[in-house]
Amino acid sequence: MFDLAMMMAKILVILGCTLGVVPFLVWFERRGAAWMQGRVGPNRVGPFGLLQSLADVLKFMFKETFVPAKANKFFYLMAPIIALIAPMCALSVIPFGSKVIVNGQEVFLQIAQMDTGVIFILAFAGLEVYPIILAGWSSRNKYSVLGALRGSSQIVSYEISMGLALLSMLIVFGSFNPYDMVAWQKETLFGFLPRWGAFVNPFGALVFWIATFAETNRLPFDLPEGESELVAGYHVEYGGMKFAAFFMAEYVAMIMASSLLVTLFFGGFNMFPGMGMLVDLVVNQFQFGAVGLQNTTAFFEFASFFTKVAFFMFVMIWIRWTLPRFRFDQLMDLGWKVLFPLSLINLVVVTIGVYYFNS
Amino acid sequence: MSIVIIILCAISAVLAATMLFTKSPITSALCLLGVLIMTAGIYGLIGEHLIATIQLVVYAGAIMVLFVFSIMLLNLNTSDDDLKKKPAIFAIGLTLGLGVFSFLFYAIQEHYSNHQDNKVMGQFTPELIASLGGNSKVLAHALFSQFYVSFEVISLALLVALVAAVVLAKRKVN
Repeated sequence: MFDLAMMMAKILVILGCTLGVVPFLVWFERRGAAWMQGRVGPNRVGPFGLLQSLADVLKFMFKETFVPAKANKFFYLMAPIIALIAPMCALSVIPFGSKVIVNGQEVFLQIAQMDTGVIFILAFAGLEVYPIILAGWSSRNKYSVLGALRGSSQIVSYEISMGLALLSMLIVFGSFNPYDMVAWQKETLFGFLPRWGAFVNPFGALVFWIATFAETNRLPFDLPEGESELVAGYHVEYGGMKFAAFFMAEYVAMIMASSLLVTLFFGGFNMFPGMGMLVDLVVNQFQFGAVGLQNTTAFFEFASFFTKVAFFMFVMIWIRWTLPRFRFDQLMDLGWKVLFPLSLINLVVVTIGVYYFNS
Repeated sequence: MSIVIIILCAISAVLAATMLFTKSPITSALCLLGVLIMTAGIYGLIGEHLIATIQLVVYAGAIMVLFVFSIMLLNLNTSDDDLKKKPAIFAIGLTLGLGVFSFLFYAIQEHYSNHQDNKVMGQFTPELIASLGGNSKVLAHALFSQFYVSFEVISLALLVALVAAVVLAKRKVN
């Protein structure tokens, strides 16, 4: 019973956090864009326009459910659902804190505790191709088929460099388990620098980071929906809540990619240097015992994880309004001729380095 | 737990039947994908996370993408009357399929009814694997020590296939 309640609570927290953050992100994307371009942006609905996303959701809900006449209806309606499910499943293996103690029992803050955590994420990143292919194919529209072709070839190409960058980190950590990875990053380098993956393996971090932009179809790599060429790419024919599902899926995928980046390269839920003092302060202030200490630590760990993920989300939005879209051949050149060799060389260097340090 | 496994089995059986009897190739391919994902779910529920994940990465994430992609590109939508034109091929296929199925059924049935008592367990029990640090570690040790040569030979074969694919795909070879 306790196990079931614990599991449901964790799933609810993760889903609630992820989906609850999406409207705020959409608002921030629009306000941030306006801010970066010297405009005002949506500021009418609610304070600072914060309720604009809510108004949009209402509008989407009351729109007519429209299915193109020649579309394959079943797959047409299934594509947005898969688009939302795949990144959400991947979120289930990301640890967002060490553990809390409830009722004398330890609760690990991760939904699925698996031996093979990181490959599981890779598996669901691979499944993210299907909604794009399905949406493009089933709506029987030339623009959407072109968008689907672009999207799937882009994701398949960048998955290789992403996988190789991940592999180099797996060699460093010596484990597939996200908890082991975070524990490894807890130490410090040279006495002051936290031993984060990005400091140990900077090229791997860079390649992985660039690849996540392509995997989530974000600018500068949003060729599958390049509006100037393909109208809206693979989701041209989608309207109302079905379009909103694709839109949400993009943000959930961004959250997933940022969490993975943070877990692998930026210390995961490890607290920022100096945050331990804050924990001590709180514990002394309220006279907590060992249980309270653990729970306070978990809270601050969750806060650090959240801050790190939020930072990378901000950078993703920032880059969207800074860099122009690539041309498709430039995208493929970058993927196959720059990132792929770079990640291969990096893998060899890291392997030699790990062998040297471990022997 | 077992109820969920039964549900997954039922769904995958329905999907497999749909895969066989549907007329559109893309539905067939996606049903196969569904069967693969359900199988991965069953593996996961019996605690074999590694094989479930590998199933998802290799079959669902890579091979089926290729299938769906090529079906989409070739636009194989007109295979509706292929089977009607060639009943002989259909009959041969059906006979072969039934033969393989009945042989498999016989083998499994005989194994479970006759050899229950004197079956020989391999050296790896779940406890031993857990004490050695999980499936992935045991598998990695076996691959990189005991089966090192075969591992390398297979990777060479993959490299050859890769080069061949590049040569075939290139329109003009200088």
